Amino acid sequence: MVPAIRLTGVSRRFGALQAVRDVSFDVQPGERRAVLGPNGAGKTTLFNTICGDFPPTAGTIQLFGADITYLKPHQRTRLGIGRTYQTSLLFNGLTVLDNLFVAVRGLRCNRFSFLRPSRGDDGAAKARELADRMRLSHLLDAEVVNLSHGQRRQLEVGMAMAGDPRVLMLDEPAAGLSPGDRPELLKLLRELPRTLTLILIEHDMDIALPAADIVTVMKDGEVVVEAAPDRIEDDPVVQAIYLGAPGEGIH
Amino acid sequence: MRDRFALFALAGLALMVAAPFLLQAVLPANQAQFWTANVLGRAVVFGIIAMSLTFLATYGGFISLAQMMIAGVAGYTVAVFVEGAVPRIVGGLGYGLAIPLGVLAATVMGLVVGAISVRTRDIYLLMITLALSMGVFRFVETNIAWFNGYEGIRNVVGPELFGLGFRDPWLFYYVALGTAALLLAGVLYLVRSPFGLVLQGIRDNPRRVAALGYDVALHRIAAFGVAGFIAGCGGVLATIYNIGISPGSIGLGATVNVLIMSVIGGLGHPVGAFLGSLIFTVFDTFAANLYDRDRFNTLIGAVFLIIVLVSPDGVIGIGARLRRLLGGSKP
Repeated sequence: MVPAIRLTGVSRRFGALQAVRDVSFDVQPGERRAVLGPNGAGKTTLFNTICGDFPPTAGTIQLFGADITYLKPHQRTRLGIGRTYQTSLLFNGLTVLDNLFVAVRGLRCNRFSFLRPSRGDDGAAKARELADRMRLSHLLDAEVVNLSHGQRRQLEVGMAMAGDPRVLMLDEPAAGLSPGDRPELLKLLRELPRTLTLILIEHDMDIALPAADIVTVMKDGEVVVEAAPDRIEDDPVVQAIYLGAPGEGIH
Repeated sequence: MRDRFALFALAGLALMVAAPFLLQAVLPANQAQFWTANVLGRAVVFGIIAMSLTFLATYGGFISLAQMMIAGVAGYTVAVFVEGAVPRIVGGLGYGLAIPLGVLAATVMGLVVGAISVRTRDIYLLMITLALSMGVFRFVETNIAWFNGYEGIRNVVGPELFGLGFRDPWLFYYVALGTAALLLAGVLYLVRSPFGLVLQGIRDNPRRVAALGYDVALHRIAAFGVAGFIAGCGGVLATIYNIGISPGSIGLGATVNVLIMSVIGGLGHPVGAFLGSLIFTVFDTFAANLYDRDRFNTLIGAVFLIIVLVSPDGVIGIGARLRRLLGGSKP
């Protein structure tokens, strides 16, 4: 089977800092992959190279067999990658509905249009449906700047889902969520269709482990462990990283 | 909220349509005519140019100092190609062809400015658009063969309509007002279209717009094209209003004036451009009576400071502020 994402020797250097070092792994279609690791492990940098914010300094990235290493972000999105950001990147001056509407139309061939959509256009209907799925339908006309942090995180996921991506990349979806909001998010993640390939960066093991099929642990830009979730908590290397080997913070 | 705004806008438009009649009722004929053409008409024309700036600023977050220059491109195109202009540069075209050609040239110039500045933001965008403006200004000022240099091109009198010369104050005023109303309605339509929503998305978060699959550069350049079209319409009217065009009308002073109008009016809504330009024009016209002609800049500077200090979002922000002060509904 052609992997959904194949990373081969991906490295990214910022000046003297080697943020990601020779990372290679495959993610199969439909797989849920969690990427764990302490702060500064290179998780978000790896994410950004996969999504095209900047190219890797070495290595190649394939999406369903096609080389996307040097494509621009919007081109990758058109090939089926959807993503969220660690800090919500939303359109603060627009309403929830307009945010989702813009997101829904991003992959349509008439995405560049000076004309308001006709009555038959299903863009708005699809945006409402997404709001419903993200439990935001009571806030359609609220300006995004007025949303709570939890609602912003939900909208963030909704916007990444809007283009029906084949690969969904979530960068710390639980970041800053209150303990009460976390089970809700986990439920939302588990409701995602199995046809979707999911790559998830997460600090919170309570979110990452139940949501994942395979967990990749990174440290100092390198992959140190790759294992099933039930083996992760017992793994000596992971314990050393997360539970306080000398010189390591607790996350 | 949107309905209430539409009501205000229609009331404002009705007032502007009725203004020449009201002025005639309360002022002697020659003064009423002066107010109609030289205050209101001029305010509407420069309001159009200022709106091309506020359109970019309000919905795209781009402050462009090239809009007066782009308006000048339209004016110069008309002046160069129209029959009857003095001196004759190319000539031969009637106004029916020269005016669309001028607006087209301004749109193309808008696209070019947008393409050149596509990677810049904030202060860098400001500087690059200013540099382009000054480049065109110097080029026009020193080029005799195409633009008659420092003196500019005169006798661009405008077409005849309904048997009246375009310089007839009423005809000019209503043509300018109609153009402004159509352009404003067009802008308000456009900002709720997919293009307009994506433009506002770029203002709030360009990275996300790209991640959703949109080409940010394409939308930015198109927005500058739209603004170029608007500025071009204003530029043609301004050239006919001045019966010609010279480099001074696209110089640094004129460029800054358009920016001042926009900020006085407020960048929260495109209609602010017209309020700002009306206030500016009233002071510009009557500074001599109020104070001293040579002190105009001091006066308008003081007005600018007061408005910006009292209400950073310009005149259109004052209404919302008052409502809040009086304990009315939430903004």
